[in-house]
Amino acid sequence: MTVVVGFLAGKAGISALHLGVEAARTLKTSLSVVTVVPKPWTTVSLARIDAEYAQYADRIAADSAAQGLECVTKLDPTLEVSFHKYAHRSAPGGLLDAVEELKAEALVLGSASDGSLGQVVVGSTADRLLHSSPVPLAICPRGYRGSKSHGLTRLTAAYPGTEESRHVVERVAAQAARLEVPMRVITFAVRGRTMYPPEVGLHAEDSLLSAWASQAREALAKLKSDGIVGDDVELQVVTGNGWDQALDAAEWEDGELLAIGTSPQGAIARVFLGSKGTKIVRHSPVPVLVLPN
Amino acid sequence: MTTPTVSLSEQMLRRRPVVGAAVAHGADAGLKRTIGTFQLTMFGVGATVGTGIFFVLQDAVPVAGPSVVVSFILAGIAAGLAAICYAEMASAVPVSGSTYSYAYTTLGEFVAMGVAACLLLEYGVSTAAVAVGWSQYLNKLLSNLFNGWQLPDQIVAAPWDEVAEGHAQGWINLPAVVLVVLCALLLIRGASESALVNTVMVCIKLGVLGLFAIIAFTAFNADHFANFAPFGVAAIGSAAGVIFFSFIGLDAVSTAGDEVKDPQKTMPRAIIAALLIVTGVYVLVAVAAIGAQKWEMFDGQSAGLAQILDDVTGATWWSTVLAAGAVISIFSVTLVTMYGQTRILFAMGRDGLLPSMFAKVNPKSMTPVNNTIIVAIVVSLLAAFVPLDKLIDMVSIGTLTAFIVVSIGVIILRVREPDLPRGFKVPLYPITPVLSVLACGYILYSLHWYTWIAFGAWVLVVWAFYLLWGRKHSALNDGGDGVITTAAPGLEDVEIVSPPKDAP
Repeated sequence: MTVVVGFLAGKAGISALHLGVEAARTLKTSLSVVTVVPKPWTTVSLARIDAEYAQYADRIAADSAAQGLECVTKLDPTLEVSFHKYAHRSAPGGLLDAVEELKAEALVLGSASDGSLGQVVVGSTADRLLHSSPVPLAICPRGYRGSKSHGLTRLTAAYPGTEESRHVVERVAAQAARLEVPMRVITFAVRGRTMYPPEVGLHAEDSLLSAWASQAREALAKLKSDGIVGDDVELQVVTGNGWDQALDAAEWEDGELLAIGTSPQGAIARVFLGSKGTKIVRHSPVPVLVLPN
Repeated sequence: MTTPTVSLSEQMLRRRPVVGAAVAHGADAGLKRTIGTFQLTMFGVGATVGTGIFFVLQDAVPVAGPSVVVSFILAGIAAGLAAICYAEMASAVPVSGSTYSYAYTTLGEFVAMGVAACLLLEYGVSTAAVAVGWSQYLNKLLSNLFNGWQLPDQIVAAPWDEVAEGHAQGWINLPAVVLVVLCALLLIRGASESALVNTVMVCIKLGVLGLFAIIAFTAFNADHFANFAPFGVAAIGSAAGVIFFSFIGLDAVSTAGDEVKDPQKTMPRAIIAALLIVTGVYVLVAVAAIGAQKWEMFDGQSAGLAQILDDVTGATWWSTVLAAGAVISIFSVTLVTMYGQTRILFAMGRDGLLPSMFAKVNPKSMTPVNNTIIVAIVVSLLAAFVPLDKLIDMVSIGTLTAFIVVSIGVIILRVREPDLPRGFKVPLYPITPVLSVLACGYILYSLHWYTWIAFGAWVLVVWAFYLLWGRKHSALNDGGDGVITTAAPGLEDVEIVSPPKDAP
């Protein structure tokens, strides 16, 4: 078992390595840094027309490994780390091969570089993996540099309040117990947008929000009374005018990880992120762990 | 459920206390009053224009002849007076929402149920009526765009609709049903119309109506007004009853009261401005239409305004523009009206006067899905099988009754609680509310007897439901604060975190 980090020098920065090191340490396992390089032309050719291209692919892999090694050694010299090069037509495809071959426990990715710092930005690679990864997928916010405590301090599960997602809370609770970290369960309640012209007042959605918040409150209380989570678990309904506001209002600790489940309509035992999940991921200020269904 | 120990009359007169007023209402100083006269006027015009003017002429003109112009003014005055009373009611009652909420907090449970019966007509039935009007314009648009190809007669009209010459008897109004289902899906997904879209819609509506008036005036014939009131003065009132349908929504101005800057000045200005714009446009359209087409010819037309443009210009180009504008703007009207209906039922479910499933929010979409589906089914049935003129009559009678209740409510509240702080007071009290009652009452009086019977039966059904079910399940039964609390164990463990109030 190992934690796989997708890393390419010069792309998306080293934040994924920070999260990967933390994850490997928390799970007490090794770290595998995977670089996916373009697949060279495999047809035999006398002129070796593709030699230069193959060299280029080798070079970026070597660069990535060197840069990755430097970074990981600085972070934790004792960690068992290995570097792998996967030649594949697409980055997500190569990472999926790596996950399978290395028997990964989790896959760690960084944010794309075209977003604001401190926010999770789902790039094209992460986007495809969010709909196909067979193992839990962690994405860190852009510019993530690890927690001050160098490890996980709290695990938060986002719970939509439906029956079918209770197993997500159950699994997160088991994981929190295994890692001996405190746990929190949050149900996000986001206000609908005001309808104009306001034929029934500008506050119709407020009463809808408060009804939903009290409904969510009951569902959360039921988690505890049904014994799905322990007595020391913190339960919260977090409201907001939009997803950004709700995610901000939730008071995050340094070293916290947000875990979300994925829609049941996806393939079996695969990550398949739904529309609400996508919004949570995009607005999260802490690393997000997306669990397969 | 424990048997209530309070007497029936106490139950019927009990009022919903104001819960969380400081948060919901502008009582705390932190609430930003941001809406000015212009935007408020846009609310009024946006909510009003489009509910009726595109298809009300074909039902109103045959009733009163050219004097329908006077009916428009009469209906406008009644709606304006009522809207001013609404504004005081809305500012005096620290709850936001519909007439139902106002009536429940001021006039008691029984009256609130009666008002709810009226509102189900004002919103639910008018959604159906608007959808039927939309289907006419859609068909017209298709016919213009595809060279005379139309949907078959059987699927674009209700079975009891009058059949125009050369057309087959209808079975079901399918486009109207499709529209209702589309709007329901949008509402379930949580779609909403923003203030900007509302303004755009207002521009589209006023634009196409202005276009209609300009083109129709080119064929103006003063002789069409020669026999001005062929059915006498009483018919003017009857036509006003039909037309009143096209003025509903003007009360939308008042519901925004607690976010309006300087309400005592802004409110009457916006109401009067909206009223002048709306009535002005309606009168202009009516005069242009009757000037272009003999009043006898309105009967049985569908997509009337577009038809007139065809006849005037001899080409289909202009009527295509009008029909397209109508199809877009009526779509938005249907969405907004249907939304209003679901939220009123939501409030009733929350108060325990309807089964709690109406107040249940679906965790996946965070919208009241059950509620929306029920509304969609009932409204589609109405739209599919009931002729337009019958729907319009029911909407008018329900709305007029609700308006009268509000006007009387203003007087009752002034007498009972004279010191209550009011953000807005009606000018010329008590003349304004009394005039409002008289104007609405006069129009009501002119409506057909069968409309009255249908309406009376409907209100009785709702009241019977209240007496048999609602009063036993009302959230006020627990002697509590009107909020249904369940005694789920461990509820106090769950913290509710809200963003700070001054957050953007």
